[in-house]
Amino acid sequence: MLKRTLVANRGEIACRILRACNEAGIEGVAIHAANDAGSLFTEIADIAIPLEGEGLAETYLNQEQILKIAIQNGCDSVHPGFGFLSERADFAQAVMDSGLIWIGPSPEAITQMGDKMTARITMKAAGVPVIPGEEVDGGLEEVLAVAPSVGYPLLLKATAGGGGKGMRAVYEEEHLESEAKAAMREALNAFGDDRVYVERLLTGSRHIEIQVLADKYGRTIHLGERECSVQRRHQKVFEESPSVAIDAELRQAMGEAACDAARAVNYEGAGTVEFLVTPTGEFFFLEMNTRIQVEHPVTEMVTGVDLVREQLRIAGGEAMSCGELNIRGHAIEVRLYAEDPANNFLPAIGQLKRFIPPTGPGVRLDTGVRQGDAVTPDYDPMLAKLIVWAPSRKEALQRMGRALDEFVVLGCTTNIRFLRELCDHPDVVDGWTTTDMIDRLWPDGWNPDLPAIIADAGLLIASACESTNHGRTVTSPSGSSQTPSPFSQLSRRYP
Amino acid sequence: MEFKTSDGRKEIESHRDGLTFIHGATLVHMGNEIWLEIDGRNHKATAAKVGDTWWVHVLGHTLQFEIVEAGASGTDDDSGLTAPMPGKILDVLVSVGQNVKAGDALMVMEAMKMEHKIVAGHDGIVEAVNYNTGDQVIQGAELLSISES
Repeated sequence: MLKRTLVANRGEIACRILRACNEAGIEGVAIHAANDAGSLFTEIADIAIPLEGEGLAETYLNQEQILKIAIQNGCDSVHPGFGFLSERADFAQAVMDSGLIWIGPSPEAITQMGDKMTARITMKAAGVPVIPGEEVDGGLEEVLAVAPSVGYPLLLKATAGGGGKGMRAVYEEEHLESEAKAAMREALNAFGDDRVYVERLLTGSRHIEIQVLADKYGRTIHLGERECSVQRRHQKVFEESPSVAIDAELRQAMGEAACDAARAVNYEGAGTVEFLVTPTGEFFFLEMNTRIQVEHPVTEMVTGVDLVREQLRIAGGEAMSCGELNIRGHAIEVRLYAEDPANNFLPAIGQLKRFIPPTGPGVRLDTGVRQGDAVTPDYDPMLAKLIVWAPSRKEALQRMGRALDEFVVLGCTTNIRFLRELCDHPDVVDGWTTTDMIDRLWPDGWNPDLPAIIADAGLLIASACESTNHGRTVTSPSGSSQTPSPFSQLSRRYP
Repeated sequence: MEFKTSDGRKEIESHRDGLTFIHGATLVHMGNEIWLEIDGRNHKATAAKVGDTWWVHVLGHTLQFEIVEAGASGTDDDSGLTAPMPGKILDVLVSVGQNVKAGDALMVMEAMKMEHKIVAGHDGIVEAVNYNTGDQVIQGAELLSISES
């Protein structure tokens, strides 16, 4: 049983974890950079400790400082959230070496899954299907030698890779040599390691991931899939569970493969195994994310399992609490970004003058901000995750549309309207979601579909507001602003 | 009353005692809440003013209306002197009163981890420098102004 947990993260996921700690009777300790003082997550925490320094490297990525704070404040455990230090085996090791509990898998499991080649070999040995291909250790000649047996089109990938660097698609044999040289050169420059591997390029596939949970008592289970194909600039914006492409039989097979993958590295806690699923229903291991994921709520909604609470329970040495699982209904998550979808999704900043989230049945909001907060360019532009649950996919889409219509954010440009239109798009309604769909549907960029009556109504409201000085704020002596009393407004009632 | 929107300038006649109707939309109530009638149905709207811009949320759409002051010239801002994206001022290369030529670099800003040079669009004298090195700026912020020579 954990007593005091340091959450080595910020924003929305820090709020999520600190709330779970609170519910579990664990004291939550937040750490925050100077520019995060007063952020929502520091209020939810039982204790909030300021980090010294500026910039990510000196603050949220500063292992030494974070560990020191954990020890000085009597923490018995560290939860890394996602991003930041969550997949740093050296940090996990340092936490454990200090006698604290690392809420996540072992450093060995993180390392094994972090290196693509090692992961691939480990998975192959465990009987988990991997994309047909060959690991190559002997440079260019070996690449040329194994290519024919893999077949075309093929994909060259940097062994140490990530982020698309050192990755090359080759459609014909005549381009193999030049592309292989380029891939190896890129890999060497980016990662200091020119090893590549060759695998079949599977076109028209979906990215589908399986949530797994494993405890210290030998139990490893899967909690169904998440479909995360809708992406912009390689970041997910729309996630759902279950996937329309998966039936009970395929779910069972993929779930078992995911559990095999987890067992192969003695996995502990919550993790996600990503697969590529072909149109014919074949599936292949892509990678394992050794942390809680941004889109975990959709799994929570359809399974009824509190994944973060289970993480805390498992790390504290207890057995997981979930019994037999049923997938119930349908859940969708959209990510609200402070960005301008009509301007190539460029990040936006501003003050959240109004931030009025939707409510009502089946609606969940995971956010790290509230009305009045400033959105700055210092951190990720994700403002919130809006999640809905409904009995069917159709109803979930309708509910999401309704919730997005209700969501009011004024003072900072967001992608709310883009998400709203996405929910109505025939490809989304029919479940034809693919990773390239945003570029395919809006090749010249997205612009809102704005009915003339709405534009006119907006103009009417703006002019009426301006001429009546609507909702103006007065400055109180303390410097904070507040809405004037209704009595002073009565005399200005419109018209 | 005149506003600037993402699709150009829009004018609306202003009445001190209230304008309540425009095309198909009628303003039915405006106290702490704003209510609008469209096609016989009432809808709640939300509005807030940030700087010179009214942000309006109505029927799931969020719109921005920037007030154009009466008597202001019809030309748009010199787009070269506004921040193209939110970011941080890395360097200010000119000071007030300085003569500059078209093409001179005036400021360097960082946005999305890339550097952008703010360049003079025409010859003139620097009239105002609105930000200092290290300042955060929002998209569209007027960084400096240069007199017409």
